Amino acid sequence: MFADTWYLFNKYLTITLRMPLWSLFSLVQPLLWLFIFGALFENFAQVPGFPAPSYIDYFLPGVVIMTVLFGSSWAGVSLLREISSGTVDKMLVAPVSRSSIVLSRVLHSAVQVVAQAVIVLIAAWLMGAHTSWNPINIAQAMFIVLLLGIAFASLSNGLAIILQREEPLVIMGNMMTLPLMFFSSSMVPASFMPPWLHYAAMANPIEYAVTSVRAVLVTPAPAESSYLLGMAVTAAFAGVTLAWAISAFKTLRS
Amino acid sequence: MIKISGLTKTYPSGAKAVDRLDLSVEEGEILALLGPNGAGKSTTIRVLTTLAGFDDGQVTVAGHDIDRDPDAVRRSIGYVAQETGVDYFLTGRENLVLQGRLYRMNRADIDARVTELASYFTLTEHLDQLVSSYSGGMRRKLDIATALIHRPKVLFLDEPTLGLDTQSRQSLWQYIRKLNDELRLTILLTTHYLEEADRLSHRVAIIANGQIKVIGTAEALKDAIQGDAVTVEFEHNDDKSHWLAQQLRAEDYVRDLTWENNKLHLYVTNGAAAVPRVMEKATTANVRVKNIAFARPTLDDIFIKHTGASIQGSKETTGGAWWEKWAGKGGGKWAKQWQDSESKDTHVSSTMQPGEITPSATLNPNQTWPAPTESKDAPKEPRTELPSATSTTWPSDQWDPESVKKWQSQWPEQGGNWPKDSQWQTSSESPAALADPQPKPATQKAESWPSDPSDSKTGQTWPSQAPERGSEQTKDSPSAEPTQANNLAETHAPAGEESEKSAWPSDQWDPESTKKWQSQWPDKGGDWPKGQQ
Repeated sequence: MFADTWYLFNKYLTITLRMPLWSLFSLVQPLLWLFIFGALFENFAQVPGFPAPSYIDYFLPGVVIMTVLFGSSWAGVSLLREISSGTVDKMLVAPVSRSSIVLSRVLHSAVQVVAQAVIVLIAAWLMGAHTSWNPINIAQAMFIVLLLGIAFASLSNGLAIILQREEPLVIMGNMMTLPLMFFSSSMVPASFMPPWLHYAAMANPIEYAVTSVRAVLVTPAPAESSYLLGMAVTAAFAGVTLAWAISAFKTLRS
Repeated sequence: MIKISGLTKTYPSGAKAVDRLDLSVEEGEILALLGPNGAGKSTTIRVLTTLAGFDDGQVTVAGHDIDRDPDAVRRSIGYVAQETGVDYFLTGRENLVLQGRLYRMNRADIDARVTELASYFTLTEHLDQLVSSYSGGMRRKLDIATALIHRPKVLFLDEPTLGLDTQSRQSLWQYIRKLNDELRLTILLTTHYLEEADRLSHRVAIIANGQIKVIGTAEALKDAIQGDAVTVEFEHNDDKSHWLAQQLRAEDYVRDLTWENNKLHLYVTNGAAAVPRVMEKATTANVRVKNIAFARPTLDDIFIKHTGASIQGSKETTGGAWWEKWAGKGGGKWAKQWQDSESKDTHVSSTMQPGEITPSATLNPNQTWPAPTESKDAPKEPRTELPSATSTTWPSDQWDPESVKKWQSQWPEQGGNWPKDSQWQTSSESPAALADPQPKPATQKAESWPSDPSDSKTGQTWPSQAPERGSEQTKDSPSAEPTQANNLAETHAPAGEESEKSAWPSDQWDPESTKKWQSQWPDKGGDWPKGQQ
């Protein structure tokens, strides 16, 4: 299974490297948010009790997570295209493990998103964020990004198999990203939220991902963030969604 | 090599995609599954290639049972789908190498095989270009190459030449045949092209409604029809051609016949002898035949015979429409039989025996067709002469003599009181006076139009002349008057009378009246148009 995954992963990587424009295209939105919201809420950081030196320092992990959301939520669209063009059939006729077909796609999307996150990080630093450049910290943050990327790519691929059409898939993708973003502390510290919103955020895996990235990237780390907890939750989330996507794919044999 | 028994697959809606299908394919043969769209061909192939599940039955491919060991089956088969499954954004080589990897071949083997296949399919120079730059035929060939990379025992082709031009198709057939000859590869292909099944395959299995209707070599199937097929194409699919069909049915050399739109398919013992006899019958009956041809029966004829419908699917609509017109209202036993066959799922009427004539070619047995009489569009004899004076047929585009006489009787000169009590009274001018602008007393003769009936010598043309002449004869025989028609020609009929002209075209002015008219011109002494208002 791992060999199959590796070969298929290579295939997707080759295609992406041949046409880098699509990956850069999906970077536009996070960069735009970083720029606009960073400027918009600049003075928010002067509110007493704000946990970071400047707003953009606080917002950066949010943007990094946003990159994951916007990058991985459309991963299912290319699966639909491959199904209709018969490429997936070709793979299914070969003695290829079914899980590896899904896993290779999901990993490819996650790796793509990690590359995009690094670019966002550089952009934020250029805008004045005091991000930590310690490679260990960066690696830790990127690991969270990878796990979250796996989770959302799995969600998207699974939905693609269930919905079977691009339009509902895109709508679902939209419905997932923005509400999830706002029901977390990506943009606003948790202590500033109304209590009910705070509780909603605690049920949101994004919240844990954001806080764990914040814990490693922002110095000094805000009090309410913890890396290990975030990592555990995100990993569990990724595992569950991946298993779901693989089982959905196995039902493709009609 | 492939053995299917009792394969059944039902759609979620309840309809059967495949219904107790039995098929067996020998090693090294090419078998064509021939059928219209929706017959179950693609479903069968998908089951055989482990892409789809099934509800009942047993399937064995290359010695492995599909249910028990699907991976072993997958290792021994290659599949080329209807849509080309190669990835457009990779090069040909990358596609082939990936396939090889997925089949767990080692790198050296893959490389050697890629070179071999590329030269076999003449793709070597394009191997390192993106597949998006390939033509349709090349993509098809690459698709087949990727299916062959692991040296399978069985190759499945789903509509291999769909959408290709003739040249690519011929070349693809050559490749398929070469594969079969040189590698003893078993090939199962689905198609709805008769030519492909005929020329490419060893055996043909006709599939319709999820069942195999008949299987055998193309030659054997055609021989079963025994004889030649004569196709007669009529100008119109009307009563006359159906009457002719009924006549032909009774002929001894016609074994069977079917209608297809306005073509009549006759199955005869000897085509060459039948054609002149059919033509003779058609000519006698005055039926327009557009085209007649005879040939060995084609697979389409076999298809019609075994499934009741042409693979082009056109026969059914003609028969039904024709039936509604002629036999729908209680049309006897044939209509009932037709309705029975329509209500069943299959198109094969169970009451029909092979060789029996299908309903659309026959009529209500109680109804007899009259021999056709001369039809409206029968070619007329060319008109060499104009109707004589004694002609009894009245050209319909000319005035009826009775009404003309009536009209003329109203003229003052004739004693009538027109136009006195007509709208022209106010101007106190008769049409005659208007035509001749010079005001004349009513007593004066109207000179130009219409002509003065009393002027009998000038041979006036327009109808008013006729009664005068006719009136001469009326004294003799009233019945002869209608014959003295207003047909201008008849006034100058070769009755041997005054005119030196025998036949005057009715749509031209009589020279006499023209002369008279011209005489009124000032420069000739007349006083027109001076008196014109």
